[in-house]
This record gives sequence, C-alpha cells and structure tokens, in this order.
Amino acid sequence: MGFRFLEIFKNKGLSMTRPLLFLVLLLSGVPALAAGGADGEKEGFNAGKVIVEHVLDSYDWHIADIGNASISIPLPVILVYEGRPYFFPSSRFHHGHSAHKGFAIAHEGPRKGRIVKVLDDGHTPDPNASFLADLSMTKNVAAVLLSSFLLCLIFVSVGRKYKREGSKAVPRGLQSFLEPIVLFIRDEVALTAIGEKHYQRFLPYLLTLFFFVFFNNLLGLVPFFPGGANVTGNISVTMVLALFTFFTTQLFSTKGYWKHIFNTPGVPVWLKLPLPLMPIIELIGVFVKPFVLMVRLFANITAGHMIILGFVSLIFVLGGVATAVGYVISPLSLLFMIFMNFIELLVAFIQAYVFTFFSALFFGMAVPEEHH
Amino acid sequence: MELVSPGLGLIFWMTLAFGMVLLILRKYAWRPILNTIRERELSISQSLRDAQHIQRELAALEEQKEHKMREAEKLRLELLTQARGEADEIIRNARQRASVEVSQIMEDGKRAVEAQRNAVVHEIRDQIAKLSVDMAEKVLEGELKDRDISQKLVNQMLDKVALN
Repeated sequence: MGFRFLEIFKNKGLSMTRPLLFLVLLLSGVPALAAGGADGEKEGFNAGKVIVEHVLDSYDWHIADIGNASISIPLPVILVYEGRPYFFPSSRFHHGHSAHKGFAIAHEGPRKGRIVKVLDDGHTPDPNASFLADLSMTKNVAAVLLSSFLLCLIFVSVGRKYKREGSKAVPRGLQSFLEPIVLFIRDEVALTAIGEKHYQRFLPYLLTLFFFVFFNNLLGLVPFFPGGANVTGNISVTMVLALFTFFTTQLFSTKGYWKHIFNTPGVPVWLKLPLPLMPIIELIGVFVKPFVLMVRLFANITAGHMIILGFVSLIFVLGGVATAVGYVISPLSLLFMIFMNFIELLVAFIQAYVFTFFSALFFGMAVPEEHH
Repeated sequence: MELVSPGLGLIFWMTLAFGMVLLILRKYAWRPILNTIRERELSISQSLRDAQHIQRELAALEEQKEHKMREAEKLRLELLTQARGEADEIIRNARQRASVEVSQIMEDGKRAVEAQRNAVVHEIRDQIAKLSVDMAEKVLEGELKDRDISQKLVNQMLDKVALN
C-alpha cells in the first residue's frame, strides 16, 4: 500500500500535503518504500518540483490517487480565442497529456503550466497565435468561489440572527465567536487607522477583506479536499485584493491627500523645486503601497506552505538516500510540521490582520482629518 | 516565473467573487451586525446613565425619607409630651373634682347628722319638759301624801332622763 501513497506524492498529490496525510504516510511505512521508488522506473523524488506544483494553481482539482486511478474534479475551461469562446471540461487535457481543440497545457516556456494554442502536433506552442483569453475556472477559482459561498453563508446567517434578535439579545454560538473579531477590526483597525469621522464608510470593505483573507488562509491549511488550495498564496488573488484597496483609496481620496503627495507639508522647498523630488517619491509610493500589500500576503502564505511541504519532502529525500534515515527523520519532521502548522495558524490571522490594517492606514491617509 | 505571474482567469473570477462577497456581506451581514452592535452599545451606555440617574434619585429619596422619619419622630415626641401633659391635667382635675365632691358629701353628711342630733335633742328636751311637768305633777301630788315617796319618784324620773 505504500506505493499508492508514494503515487499521491509523485503526481500532484493531495492538494496540500499536511500532517493528517503525513500521519497516514508514517503509519503505512512510506519512508522505506520511498527509497525504492515506485515501479523503479520513475525518476527520483524531486522535492522542488513537488513543492512548486503544490503551491501553484491547476486546471483540475486533484484529490488523491488510489493505485493507478487518479481522483480529480474536472473544472471548466473557458477560453476566448480570436473572438470565439471555447468551453469544455479540463479532463479533456488528460492531466496535461493531450491537446483539445488545438489547445494544450504548456510544459515549458514562459507560459508553462498555462493553456496555450498549439500546432497540429498537439504540444508545440503556436508561434503565430494571437492573444488567448483564458478565463478557465481553475482550482483556485473554485476554491475562491467555495470560500466566498461559505463566507456569505456564515455571515448572512449571523447577520440575520442579529437582525432577528435585536440589540437586546446576548450573542450566542457563532455570533459570540465572530463578534469579538468584528469589534477588533472596528475598534483596533478601522477606528485607529482611519479616525472617528470616516471609519464607518470603510468598515464593510475592511471586514470583508479581513474575513476573506483569514478564511482562505485557514482553508489553505486544511490538507484535504475542500481546503488545500493555495488561494491567498497566489499572486493573482493578492493582486486583486491589493487593487481593491488601491482603487478604494483613490476613490475616496480627498484634496488633503493629493496635497500631501504633491506639496508635502513640513518638507523643505528645495525638495520640491526645481526638481520635484518629494512629489515623485510620494507618487511612486501611491503605487508601491498596494504592490507591497500584494507581495507580502503572497510571499508569507506561499512560504509557509513551502516550509511545511519541505518538511514532508525531507522524509522522502532522506528516505531516498537510506531507508533507515527516512525512518529516523520522520518523527522529527513530523514535530517540525506540527510546530509549523501552529505558526501558520498564527500567520493566517496575522497576515489577514496586517493586510486589513495597512489597507485601513491607506484609507486613513486618503481621508486625512483636518486637525494635524 | 509561473509562481509570480498573475493569471487573467483567476484575476477575473477573483474580482467577480470578491466584489460579490463584498456587496452581499455589506448589505446582509455588516449592516445588521454593525447596526445591532452600535444599538447595543448605545443602549448599554444609556442604561448605565439611567442606572446612575436612578441611583442618584434613590439617594435623594432616601434622604427625603430619612428627613421625614426624623420629623415624624420629633412630632411623635411632641405629641407624646403633650398627651402626657394633658393626661396629667385631666387626672389632676379629676382628683380636684373628686376631693371637692368628697368634702361636699362629708359636709352634707355632717349637716344631716347635725340636723338629726338637733331634732333628737329637741325631742329629748320636749320629753324632759313633758316628764318634768309630769314629775312635777306627780311630786306635787306625792308631797301631798308622803315626802319620802315623792323623793323616790323624783329620783326615779331623773334616772330615766339620765339615759338621754
């Protein structure tokens, strides 16, 4: 049975490998078999490849491999090429092994891992291809939709409860768990960073942002199916969130904000004229701020996932060197993984908080209160 | 490169999903939740203010009560003293009246006794006079007969009178 678990690992295994899976691995004596390698034909364990594949997006949602059968949910591929829409399940690609309707998943090149227009041979990217709009619902899209649905479900029901029971009722159940967090965002984030006068306008966005990031961070830590997608560790996702913050900042910005950028008060004149040094720096800052937001969340979550995957891979790498070493290292690796998971739980909260707090700070700058 | 290059599809869907979540939660979650929390906070602070107000009122009432109690106590003492005085007065009056009546009764009694005695003395006097007349009659008769016998008769008469 060890072979099977190795298979899970060699292919794009369980979406995110986490201790629960690891426990199963440990109990089934995988390290010994990992040394032998599956079938003896496949290449040695490539930790880097496995880790990167696990944190990346993919066109189908792989759940597990049992024997030679791969269990995965095919997701819709939606393409617009030369004005024509294409719509088919990702299973048509047979896990990237074949082309469908002239499209295939690239195995190398700048668009590696993405769908490209291929020539008739079924794998060479078409050098003369025009722009291909790939709107496929990938694994991360599915995970985002799922977590969005969960978020709406939870918070709308909690909202209804508040509405139904009114202000006289004592919060109970989920309500009493979420209320302190809502209050924390309101009092410690929005009120602190934006100020008494404007904070209420930004509160719905900040709350949504916090819970969206927090939820997806936590779901990313769940090692098996509906969780496990590396949503908040995906640059597209963090980019969208950062852009939301960016546009909200610009949308609500007041005259004071732009005055602060182009004519920063309290700065010597020679920094503004004749060379507008400060305005340039401040203007760059406008774009750097959301960029940093994007990178921070992406890097933190991805790094956390990579570390945990690294500890899992360590067992297989060392098991490949010598079976005994694999046995020795697995409990140690397990301990580190458990430790890392606790850290990641903390990071899930901290990163959600940091993203929200910095967004609130930017909003606070966009609507400066007159008195300072 | 793949790790850090954003994908169009994911950006599109993510924008859509997050935008929808934002709109839905703003209307159906954050508004009722935040409103309710604010209402609750307002009602709590209002209740606290009310409680303080009530406490102050209660203290004032207590003060008033104490004041009334003290006044009532004073009034009670006053009334008591007054009543006691009045009672004494009544008793004194009664005694006085009683003693007056007693002396009057005694006086009346004395007078009645006096009157009776006078009446008796009168009667005795009348009797004596009558007897004396009788005796004189008898003596005058006896003297005519026997000196000794008359003497004896006079003595006998006097003995009778001496009883009175």
